[in-house]
Amino acid sequence: MSTEDGGLAGLDRTLRNTFGWYTVSKKEFRDAIRSKGLWLLGTVFTLLFSLPVIISLYFQDWESLNNAQTQAIRENGMQALLSSTYTEVVTVLVPIIAIFVGYAAISKERSSGSLKILLSLPHSRRDVLIGKVIGRSAVLTVPFLASLAITAVILVASRLTFKPELFGLFVLFSVLYAMVFVAITVSISGVFDRTSWAGAASFIVYFYSTFVWNLSVNSIGQLLQNRLGVEGAIRWHLVLLLKLANPNQAYKTLTNSMLNTGDTPQLAARLSMFGRGANRQVVCTDVLNGAWETQTVQFLGQAQQISTCSGGGTPVPFYYSDPVVAVFMVAWIGIAATLSYYTFAIADL
Amino acid sequence: MDQPNHMTAIELDGLRKEYADVVALDGVDLTVEEGEVFGFLGPNGAGKSTTINILLDFIRPTAGSATVLGHDVREESEAIRERIGVLPEGYDVYERLTGREHMEFTIESKGTDDDPEELLERVGVADAIDRRAGGYSKGMKQRLVLAMALVGEPDLLILDEPTTGLDPNGAREMRQIIREESERGATIFFSSHILSQVDAVCDTVGILQSGQLIAKDSVEGLRDAQGDMTLVVTVEDTDGITAAVDSVRELPAVSGVQRDGDRVTVSCESGAKMSVLNAFEDNGVAVADFETQEASLEELFSTYTEQEVEA
Repeated sequence: MSTEDGGLAGLDRTLRNTFGWYTVSKKEFRDAIRSKGLWLLGTVFTLLFSLPVIISLYFQDWESLNNAQTQAIRENGMQALLSSTYTEVVTVLVPIIAIFVGYAAISKERSSGSLKILLSLPHSRRDVLIGKVIGRSAVLTVPFLASLAITAVILVASRLTFKPELFGLFVLFSVLYAMVFVAITVSISGVFDRTSWAGAASFIVYFYSTFVWNLSVNSIGQLLQNRLGVEGAIRWHLVLLLKLANPNQAYKTLTNSMLNTGDTPQLAARLSMFGRGANRQVVCTDVLNGAWETQTVQFLGQAQQISTCSGGGTPVPFYYSDPVVAVFMVAWIGIAATLSYYTFAIADL
Repeated sequence: MDQPNHMTAIELDGLRKEYADVVALDGVDLTVEEGEVFGFLGPNGAGKSTTINILLDFIRPTAGSATVLGHDVREESEAIRERIGVLPEGYDVYERLTGREHMEFTIESKGTDDDPEELLERVGVADAIDRRAGGYSKGMKQRLVLAMALVGEPDLLILDEPTTGLDPNGAREMRQIIREESERGATIFFSSHILSQVDAVCDTVGILQSGQLIAKDSVEGLRDAQGDMTLVVTVEDTDGITAAVDSVRELPAVSGVQRDGDRVTVSCESGAKMSVLNAFEDNGVAVADFETQEASLEELFSTYTEQEVEA
């Protein structure tokens, strides 16, 4: 074996001696990265990611736009694209890839018997779980980063102004979101000894989080008011907290806030989580510490009232700020892994 | 508990494992001394793998306790697994990893500095070292996992049905490795239901039947306990043979009887030959032929388990 020859071998040795999960995660990465299906999915993902840019940016009829419009698109086009199309693509597609990468991580080893080899070696079940979450996260991150890098190249070559720092933040949050879903699927995988059940359970979680949670939270808010008489600010506090507890919503509002170039990006991002059914005035003033201003403007010869929510001199409450929302999102890694650990640790294999 | 006894490799104390509808282990007490080659025998479903799975903390006992190398299997499983090598039952290899990568993973997990090539050479799959293990045959996988078990010169080797999937040549090489490891000073604990391959390597044998340890002794001791010989009697006519077999079984010197058509195999004390043959004649069954032989472990085993079924 290598001695203290520094470099990668030295780092490898240090990690191995420091973290019990490291050897498992390395094995996991080596094994899963060779899956052909993973690379197929990565390719599909890259296409879905880059095609909209290519179509809209290279084939759009720029000639018909005036200078001011062209300028505006150039300047803000990247943010607009990221916060609309891309967050949707990420929230809908990344969890599917995460499920593909993670659903069999433990359950398949359990049903095939390779877990017996793994656990004959001096690894604790906790190290196995952590090593699998980290190893499989790395597995998803590689094709994901590759497709983001290709997207970046396409953006740079396009007529839009490429803003590397904003794109970098987008990548960071997207990778964190991906890791949350890998952690959730690997954790679910630790609970089931049948791979098909683990896959189904992961898919249900994905479907609920992506398509159902937000709607059901709105209904819960309605129920709270109608049945329990929970009204006003308390209702909207509860609704916002429940929305932020969804990793999908947390990710979207984080990217929105980060890509928003206005004066109060956090306020605007949280407020935009509420639709027409919400009392936006209460949310603005009582929940988010904003100032609600109503102006009367003349529009097409008629007086119209337009309301805006601006920063009321105080920032949004600490617990709704971006860092805390990021913690909300990442906390799912720990919650899922902990629940899984206590199931996996007591299971007869 | 007493102080851990450092001369004891494995100690089972009233070990019991119940599942919803079946008792897999029914109060097993067993001691395996350090340095022993211990053959853990029994038919399929007797509870051998359940016992081994408890030793490895794959499953948890309903009652009783077990220690390996002085460590409690529940509380100090990792410390145990630092010092043992395991060939588990019902395992699978990582299909996309090569033989070398399997070895590297094991070596890094155990923190040793073994040479993957050397170990694979020893088990006879060095040629396939850089091929993915998914393409290995059953026997090659078995050899690979054996090589993984040998990493770090473990103090105890736990081998669950080690000859499964091996051809006779492979089985012989497996026994050779068991001998070498034993000479190095390792304790070997292996299970098997193929008994003819066991008596050549074992110091001690334990027989498990329906979750209970029904015998534990040296191979010679078991033979002595079972009577010194086996008598195979061929009768001329099977009329009245059931009554004859029953009266043979009732003889005090007889420890087991098995009938297969017109052949009756009797385990008995060496001086009991005439009384066995007389028992046939007394029941009106003529003996066409008989031969005596020393009991092989296989026959001991089947007479043991036969008794158990009849009990």
